[in-house]
Amino acid sequence: MAAVAIDASHRTLRAQEPAPAETRSVWDGVFTEEQAKRGEALYQKECKSCHGETLAGGESAPPLTGGAFLSNWNGLTLGDLFERIRKTMPQNSPGKLNRQQNADILAYTLNANKFPAGKTELSRRAEFLKEIRFEAMKPAPKK
Amino acid sequence: MLRGKTSSWRLGILWVSAGLALLPAQTSAQYRAKDTEWPSYAADLAGTRYRPLEQINASNFNDLEIAWRIKTDNFGNRPEYKLEGTPLMINDVLYATAGSRRAVIALDAATGELLWTHGEHEGARGGAAPRQLSGRGLAYWSDGKEERIFYVTPGYRLICLNAKTGMLVATFGNGGALDLKLDDDQTIFPDLTTGEIGIQSAPVVAKDTVIVGAAFREGMTPKSIKNNKGYVRGFDVRTGRRLWIFHTIPKKGEFGYDTWLNDSAEYTGNTGVWTQITVDEQLGLVYLPVESPTSDYYGGQRPGNNLFGESLVCVDLKTGKRKWHFQLVHHPLWDMDISSAPILADIVVDGKPIKAVAQPSKQGFLYVFDRITGKPVWPIEEQKVEVGSVPGEWYAPTQPIPTKPPAYSRNGVSIDDLIDFNAELHEQAKTIASKYHLGPVFTPPVESKADGPLGTLTLGTASGGTNWPGGSYDPEKHVVYVYACNACVEPIGLVPAPKDVSDLNYIAGVAGHEVSILRGPGENAGADSPMPPKKAAASSYVRMNVDGLPLIKPPYGTITAIGLDEGKILWQIAHGETPEVVRNYPAFKERNIPRTGQQTYNIGTLVTKTLVIAGEGQVTTTADHPRGAMLRAYDKATGKEVGAVYMPAPQSGSPMTYMVKGKQYIVVAVSGGPYSGEYIAYSLPAPGE
Repeated sequence: MAAVAIDASHRTLRAQEPAPAETRSVWDGVFTEEQAKRGEALYQKECKSCHGETLAGGESAPPLTGGAFLSNWNGLTLGDLFERIRKTMPQNSPGKLNRQQNADILAYTLNANKFPAGKTELSRRAEFLKEIRFEAMKPAPKK
Repeated sequence: MLRGKTSSWRLGILWVSAGLALLPAQTSAQYRAKDTEWPSYAADLAGTRYRPLEQINASNFNDLEIAWRIKTDNFGNRPEYKLEGTPLMINDVLYATAGSRRAVIALDAATGELLWTHGEHEGARGGAAPRQLSGRGLAYWSDGKEERIFYVTPGYRLICLNAKTGMLVATFGNGGALDLKLDDDQTIFPDLTTGEIGIQSAPVVAKDTVIVGAAFREGMTPKSIKNNKGYVRGFDVRTGRRLWIFHTIPKKGEFGYDTWLNDSAEYTGNTGVWTQITVDEQLGLVYLPVESPTSDYYGGQRPGNNLFGESLVCVDLKTGKRKWHFQLVHHPLWDMDISSAPILADIVVDGKPIKAVAQPSKQGFLYVFDRITGKPVWPIEEQKVEVGSVPGEWYAPTQPIPTKPPAYSRNGVSIDDLIDFNAELHEQAKTIASKYHLGPVFTPPVESKADGPLGTLTLGTASGGTNWPGGSYDPEKHVVYVYACNACVEPIGLVPAPKDVSDLNYIAGVAGHEVSILRGPGENAGADSPMPPKKAAASSYVRMNVDGLPLIKPPYGTITAIGLDEGKILWQIAHGETPEVVRNYPAFKERNIPRTGQQTYNIGTLVTKTLVIAGEGQVTTTADHPRGAMLRAYDKATGKEVGAVYMPAPQSGSPMTYMVKGKQYIVVAVSGGPYSGEYIAYSLPAPGE
């Protein structure tokens, strides 16, 4: 029998690269209403059955709104969240959706979390999305 | 590869543990675990999650280091972000379920070295399973010579493995596997591949019987009033022969059938035991925590009290015959289930020793019974509750409410429970709450109306309160320690079910929004008939927060110590760092808000000689630690925090502990958000390190 080499001990924590101060955050209008609408239609078809109509999650799928969701992604980037969606969702068929569809669903999720819409669409390129910080807290000056 | 007796894969089988040869020979018929081991999901069959170890204590908890860790990504064809397992540890070997395959892994408990792994490819049957992913764990059996590991696959087959090799035990069932969809006193419909039934919890081995319950899809929005039923069965650990079955929905002629009016017992399903089962081997009694019937929030098509829905049922270990039962919720309408393992506790009340069983719950009551007779230790009184007005619903006029101990978490919503950091936030919260029906525990769901109420605002229902991780118990001091979410608010509204969606009269929903079926992950999502067109943007849903802050005031999550000799709360603390959204809220910057705990419901506790240990369920970043979650230790006598150690992600499976070669370890499952599943083992550094 072949031995199994699983060397988990050398894994290190995912390094959190500090975002440069000039980068944008989810509070800067990083998606459009139109994109969120497209995303909603996709969400209804592909995501809702597990994450729920109100994005509140279920026993088997985490919520996509609220404290636990915001804390899971706070301080990371939209690129991290995009890649998580793109690589692992929908759970019964990961990779089924293309990058544009995933970006649209992400836009819808942001919209549902009451992050503001803006004039430019959310990019489907992960490297661009990595420049947008996910910040749970609304910045103080922009009330 | 299709499921079947030859379908297992093995990456490799290694068995080189020198420690095994040194084991003392076991001569008794059953394996007697040492205090240094963790032979059952909840440490023991009593559901205590307790080990009297004290190498790791208040003086050194902060010194804990990672001894070893194992990512579960490769135990399946995709990573899993919801690792809920608690491993077992026997004879220096750690066993766990892992990964999206629900593989079984055996590791050297001191080093984490992979000894063997086993997985079952179940094809379409696994893909259609209602409860997927790695599940919560497994069961161990030994007669002193042979050692076996049992677990249930997502496709609902009971697998028996040789614990030394990971190979299927050919003499058990059909080549090491039992098809649990067969021989179940019902014909699982529509067929064996897609028939809805499964389980994610660990089977239980007591004496020479392995006991398995059943779970289903989430029950808020079922397609039909009709579903498969969640019976409980006991099997011979050696052969897999069925020894007994308990009908959680009585068959015609059986006790309790008459609590289902209009013959609704015939077609109603669910009512399984999806959480952990507890056994008193000495008394030969099994304690079954039974869940809700179909459907969770509407019972108009199952009039009556609906035994044994949401009942604690005691059955005989040898025969499965009912000894006693107590229905915690009559005619269930809140998805309270019974969500966690009953806890066996030998207590002394007013000088009188009582063999008790204590049942934590989503609704924040700890129900305490004499476990031989089923008689409540302190009176549980039938109290009048609100009768609702959803058309066609049948309402139980009273519900049983314990007089002692007091509720340990919020189980209703009033204006006083709303956020009150300042008057402005409180007013905003009141505006949200004004769209809902409020009330104490057992306030029933309402029909959702666009102009209000949208639903009943509840706490202590679907999420809890205490959900599947359950409580823990110190058998020396007679104290239950239990985590509860105090702010997991659940709006429950009902809408008429479109006929092309469900044959229920009402299902969960919000007026003005499209009605749909909630599924478990991994189900084929393409087969639905078209949905009705009416809908509003989901961004128009009412969110259960106020300016990003939780609607309900702190504490969001608590650990409570409950003295069972007195039936009283000894201490209660907020568990978990204050979330960033609260801590960094501009208006609070100058305020020193006491720790709030966190709004999460899946936290399990571990009890040792001196400590209560639990990880956090949310990620934070503080001056003290980078982005991550903390595994916290509390003095079990006082609740005072005595130490904390960093985890890279939230606790997603309950911690356990054991000793190997003179060293104590704590193992915890972490995962969530961007972080895929990982078991992490902590121990103290060697002297001089």
